[in-house]
Amino acid sequence: MSLWVDKYRPRTLDDLHYHPDLSQRLKSLAATGDFPHMLFYGPSGAGKKTRIACTLRQLFGTGAEKIKIDQRVFMTPSKRKLDVNIVQSNYHIEITPSDVGIYDRVVIQEILKEIAQTQQVDLNAKQRFKVVIINEADSLTRDAQAALRRTMEKYMSNMRLILCANSTSKLIAPIKSRCLLMRVAAPDDEEMLAVLEHVAKKEKFHLPEEAATGIINDAQGNLRKALLVLEALKMQSPDLTSNITIAKPDWETYCSKVADMIVREQSPDKVLEVRAKLYELLAHCIPPTTILKTIAYCVAEKSDEAIRADIMHWAAIYEVRMRIGSKKIFHLEAWVVKVMSLTKHHYHGISLSDDE
Amino acid sequence: MWVDKYRPKRFTDLVGDESVHRAALAWLKEWDQCVFKKRPNAGSKRKRDARAGEDSQNDGFTRPPDEWGRPHEKILLLSGPPGLGKTTLAHVVAAQAGYSVLEINASDARTGNIIDERIKPTLEAGQCLNKKKPVLIVVDEVDGATGENSTSFVAKLIQLTIDGKRKRLKPGEKRNPKEKQPLLRPIICICNDLWASSISKLRSIARIVQFRVPVPTQLVKRLRDICDIEGLKAESRALTLLANVAKSDFRGCLNTLQMIHTRRQEVTEVIVRNATVGMKEAETTTQAVWNDIFIPLSKKRIKDMGMIDEDSQKYVNRLARMVEASGTMDKVMTGCFAHYASLHHTDPSWKRYLRAQKWLTTFDLFSSTMRTEQEYAVLQYMPYMVVPMYSIFADSANPKVGNPRADWECHVKAKACEEIYKSLSGCVVADHGRHTASFRHLLSKEIVVAEFAPILNRIISPPLRPVNSQVIRPQEKAMLKKLVDVMVSLELRFVQEKSEDGQLMYRLDPPLDVCITYEGKRSSDIPPPRYAVRHMVAAAIEDEYAARQADAVEKNQGRKVSSFFGRQKADEGQLGRREAPEAASKKAETKAPETEKQPVDFFGRPIIKRKQPEPVKDAAVPAPPLKKVKVTYKHNEGASAAVRKPIKMHALL
Repeated sequence: MSLWVDKYRPRTLDDLHYHPDLSQRLKSLAATGDFPHMLFYGPSGAGKKTRIACTLRQLFGTGAEKIKIDQRVFMTPSKRKLDVNIVQSNYHIEITPSDVGIYDRVVIQEILKEIAQTQQVDLNAKQRFKVVIINEADSLTRDAQAALRRTMEKYMSNMRLILCANSTSKLIAPIKSRCLLMRVAAPDDEEMLAVLEHVAKKEKFHLPEEAATGIINDAQGNLRKALLVLEALKMQSPDLTSNITIAKPDWETYCSKVADMIVREQSPDKVLEVRAKLYELLAHCIPPTTILKTIAYCVAEKSDEAIRADIMHWAAIYEVRMRIGSKKIFHLEAWVVKVMSLTKHHYHGISLSDDE
Repeated sequence: MWVDKYRPKRFTDLVGDESVHRAALAWLKEWDQCVFKKRPNAGSKRKRDARAGEDSQNDGFTRPPDEWGRPHEKILLLSGPPGLGKTTLAHVVAAQAGYSVLEINASDARTGNIIDERIKPTLEAGQCLNKKKPVLIVVDEVDGATGENSTSFVAKLIQLTIDGKRKRLKPGEKRNPKEKQPLLRPIICICNDLWASSISKLRSIARIVQFRVPVPTQLVKRLRDICDIEGLKAESRALTLLANVAKSDFRGCLNTLQMIHTRRQEVTEVIVRNATVGMKEAETTTQAVWNDIFIPLSKKRIKDMGMIDEDSQKYVNRLARMVEASGTMDKVMTGCFAHYASLHHTDPSWKRYLRAQKWLTTFDLFSSTMRTEQEYAVLQYMPYMVVPMYSIFADSANPKVGNPRADWECHVKAKACEEIYKSLSGCVVADHGRHTASFRHLLSKEIVVAEFAPILNRIISPPLRPVNSQVIRPQEKAMLKKLVDVMVSLELRFVQEKSEDGQLMYRLDPPLDVCITYEGKRSSDIPPPRYAVRHMVAAAIEDEYAARQADAVEKNQGRKVSSFFGRQKADEGQLGRREAPEAASKKAETKAPETEKQPVDFFGRPIIKRKQPEPVKDAAVPAPPLKKVKVTYKHNEGASAAVRKPIKMHALL
């Protein structure tokens, strides 16, 4: 049944494989009945959502696992309709407001008010409050975060928030101070190995050590990726022999091709070629910030030591601009042009200082 | 006003593109048969029409489509820039064909109501008040009509043209007067912008006649005639200049001439140049703006625009005005972006590119911020961020640029791609009922795109051999089973299709393989799809689906019935009577493993099962006694139709 990553996802706090102290803490928090607002943060694939789901189960019992998905329509003040997918059970509601971009404030306000103003009607519920889970909280706009502030305090009796974010740096301080911060660190190599072996044992096959280390190195602490890769490898070469190669995602390969082009030759024609490739990447819905980041790393690796710092510096600047702006391709190409000219000038030994 | 004085009265007086005029008249003539009950001429196009026309004299209503002898498109849409005589044409052809005109234009409120209040009654009467001639409706400036939804003007207009579905009448039966009348009179719509969003629906059902800007010579000839009549001395060159500057806007030319005439008796180039200062920044196309940005003005253009050489050197205000007038600043900038790298250039130090990029990104930052913060006061400064492109790139050797397509294509592709990912998460959503709490990570788009989809593609393309599933090796069999499991749980399928060259092939649905296909090439580490393999997998998947469906139906029926009886049992239990022990025991059996919770009634109070011991004993030895009992069941009994439903016996037992 289904993918291993879902099949062997731990359901209860006791089943979790690593961070036992964190699980212990969550368990005792759920037991006290004095449950605070929480902010789970940590890198992608570390197990934040799994831990949130386990905590919910600890709080409310199996009822929290009976989930249905609704699509709700919200209306902005300018009469624009927003479709949002909402996951909910009787005890909690889960939203991803970043889906609607800059209109996330509307969604946040409506949902929170609705939850905050209704009491739990199920008399058998273990807790008197409902839980609102906000995914990707770090991409909430400032407005939306501000909208959270007061509601978090005012409706404490009916509602608890669980925020889930990759980093806390984009959250405003008032939110952070109202939450109990839970850091879910990426599992280290041994912990990942333990999980991989657990899955292998359940699936009744032997996991060679080399394959395991290969997968772990490739995943870089992302357990979800590690499990997916393991399953892909198992499907492609069932015996998991020593000479396996872990395929990179296709967009990454493509990005490194683009980086090659940038480093190899700098000319207006190449700019056009690179642009075509960037368009192709964007057309595949790869997030532009990811594109910029990946290409920047590849380019920096292949470039001379002297200009690496500059390349990263400009990548950072154009990433910020890209987030503000709406035409992503402008900023991507602006960076490409910048890097090309940097490389060119470095190659010909001309200083760029007069240009800035 | 000269404009009225010299407005053409007859068809032969019209100036401009004759084919346009003829097209309009031809369309109107097609209505003759319907409106005037004329037989079409001997050389008519369609015999079917002829028959229809004949019959329409007896009774006009009980015949197949086009029974009224109307043209296929019941609305004529005239479009073109202002001042070319669209409204005049509409009126002239109407007079020529013998109609009286009811004109609706921007001075009237154009809501959906006006159709009900004014147009419909007139159409039904077939003529205007106090007039003998049949009516023709002219809707001027239709692209400015308001409203987006179903009550809008345009939507109602389209409704008018759609004939209601009418039943054939039996002889002697009277038609219901409230039934929708067919449209029996022609409607002409006039617009400036054929591609305005408000008339997009109208475009598809109307016959479209587009006005093109005529050659100035015709216009000049007519202007000269008018000048002669009015006693205004005019140089040919001055009139040509006027026509050029006005971009053949006939109305504008006449007004200018009349204005000159009030003060002078002659027209010279200088006078025209002074009189038309404001006119030349009329509407410009985006195309023209790009050309003006990348190519400096030629001598001829300078002359045409009525400028002197010193003026032509000052470009900032001129270009800014043009950019603003084009009204599509974003598009202009996207075009600049698309073309700048392919222009004529000699720039070893890349300074120009860096500068251009700075302006481009700044423009984007400003326009995005303006939109999000809704600070539209900034808008007036935006054109000045486009203008520097001229100073950076303008060169007379630059080629004329076309519409950039890459940006739009990328947008379309990305949308399609997004749909695919959405449909994947849609599958996941649909699946949620069964696998609770899993798949959560799929709701985050970024992870799906960057992490999940590429690896999933590798998971679902194992190196299977295309052999019969009977003789397959056990190892491969396990692999196939696993593959089917994964695909079914994510609701992926292989769908058989015919490719363009007629070959059968299996396509993945939803087509997730786009995310491993870049520039049309598949990733090298994934084996190419083989028809035979996919055929085998597809068959296995269908089997699995069928099995699951059967399962689900069984389960559902079982559950429904048992809960129905369970309900009954609970009620009866409280009354203290005991009946239907079989059903009760069955319920105890099914209910117990399903949920560990105590059963609750509607209000959340726990139900105390008083009759528990008896059924449990039954349940301990369930099989033998059950087989002996003969159950009779009348399935169509009961007060409510809601529970009357045929079910299989084994669902009960």
